[in-house]
Amino acid sequence: MTDWQGGELLHIHIAPAAAHEMEAVDEAELVAGRGIVGDRYFLGTGTYSPKPDIREVTLIEIETIDALAANDPPLQDGPIVLDPSDHRRNLTTRGVPLNHLVGKRFRVGDTILRGGRLNFPCKYLEELLGEPVYLPLYNRSGLNCTIETGGVIHPGDVISPLDD
Amino acid sequence: MSARIIMKLTVIDRVEDCAGVLLLSLRHHRKPLLPAWRGGAHVDIHLPDGKVRQYSLCGDPCSRETYQVAIQRETTGRGGSNWIHDQVGAGDTVHVSAPRTNFSLDDGAERHVFIAGGIGVTPLLAMAREARTNGQDFVFHYCARRRADAPLLASLASVCADRLVTHFSDEQRLDIDAMFADLDAAEGTHIYGCGPARLTDAIRRVARVEGWPEERVHFEVFQPALDDDFKPEPFEIIVASTGQRVTVPADQSALSILREQGYSMPSSCELGVCGACICGYTDGQVIHRDSVLSLADRQARMTPCISRARNSVTLDI
Repeated sequence: MTDWQGGELLHIHIAPAAAHEMEAVDEAELVAGRGIVGDRYFLGTGTYSPKPDIREVTLIEIETIDALAANDPPLQDGPIVLDPSDHRRNLTTRGVPLNHLVGKRFRVGDTILRGGRLNFPCKYLEELLGEPVYLPLYNRSGLNCTIETGGVIHPGDVISPLDD
Repeated sequence: MSARIIMKLTVIDRVEDCAGVLLLSLRHHRKPLLPAWRGGAHVDIHLPDGKVRQYSLCGDPCSRETYQVAIQRETTGRGGSNWIHDQVGAGDTVHVSAPRTNFSLDDGAERHVFIAGGIGVTPLLAMAREARTNGQDFVFHYCARRRADAPLLASLASVCADRLVTHFSDEQRLDIDAMFADLDAAEGTHIYGCGPARLTDAIRRVARVEGWPEERVHFEVFQPALDDDFKPEPFEIIVASTGQRVTVPADQSALSILREQGYSMPSSCELGVCGACICGYTDGQVIHRDSVLSLADRQARMTPCISRARNSVTLDI
């Protein structure tokens, strides 16, 4: 963890309401203490909006998506190929050890996020996708964050550590 | 009942099939393939004002590139079909759920008898396409007031060829007793009905008289089967997972009360016809008021948008 120097933001996805497909955007406005403008958890229209929790912005590693596609380790019957819009996390990252960032602050472009809790997989996602992703996502389902400093982010932004 | 993704689909074609019936072809705005489905499945169309309407898919289940829905203008309906007829054109975007299958070819059937009335043809046309693809034997009885008013008749004739038997009121009205007398009631034969209650009630009645077992007679229902004389009473829900007890007042549904209590409950039609909110129950006497659960399913499952209970029910949520 201590040698992590930084990674990259690959994709940004938002959805206007629960169950609606996630859509890729070329830029997104993060509002401190709220969420991503236009996203369901900013608007209060998400599946879990009635249950307050840390969910202003959610992240997942592309390395996890690649591992599911390669079925490595072989946790399911066969490869599960997910489009970046399928996993329903807002930000897809490369080279960012999300599980190590609980309680840590880090930069995404000019914004600052704080790792709140590990995301855990839900059966709801499995039902929406029609794919058995529940168990394969165990322990690598991403990170739910709060937004400490808002701003506009873009795919390609650098993600870098702030706290020691 | 599982949650379903809501997709942005583009209307790639809009055709007036016959008077008052619109045929829409829909394609995903960026993905080449749509979720797979079986004949008999329906989708929800989410209207901008928050209304949700169910329409059966009537295209070919083998074709994953497009969905087709036939929408009859219901001038005395709840406004959904009028909005679609008046507002939706080629190139427009509509929000459509992934398909849900409450009605499909019985996997054990060897021969299928489809009986459709009017716009009730939509799910059965898709099922006939599937039966034809499977190489299964079937016959299709299609009733409508007049030939010119019969939705999807040309498609149906193309799919069914000489297995289509038409019954137009101004030509040769359906004689349901005679039709049943001609049916091969062999074990592998299943009947599928969809259409106005007048037709489906007649099928039920004659099938019962002729000794057809209930599990071989299937219906798609898109109107709530509500009894105007029903007087709702308050009852109590016990949530199995938490032990919480909540009271459902006479003027509210179990679904709305559960939502008020913070439970995330999927739903769609909230009329007891789509099955989106079905959940299990383990204890209690349920007053089933839906049109989707079979008698067997009602022993352990209920539809909280419309069904109620005597005194109390323990829900498996």
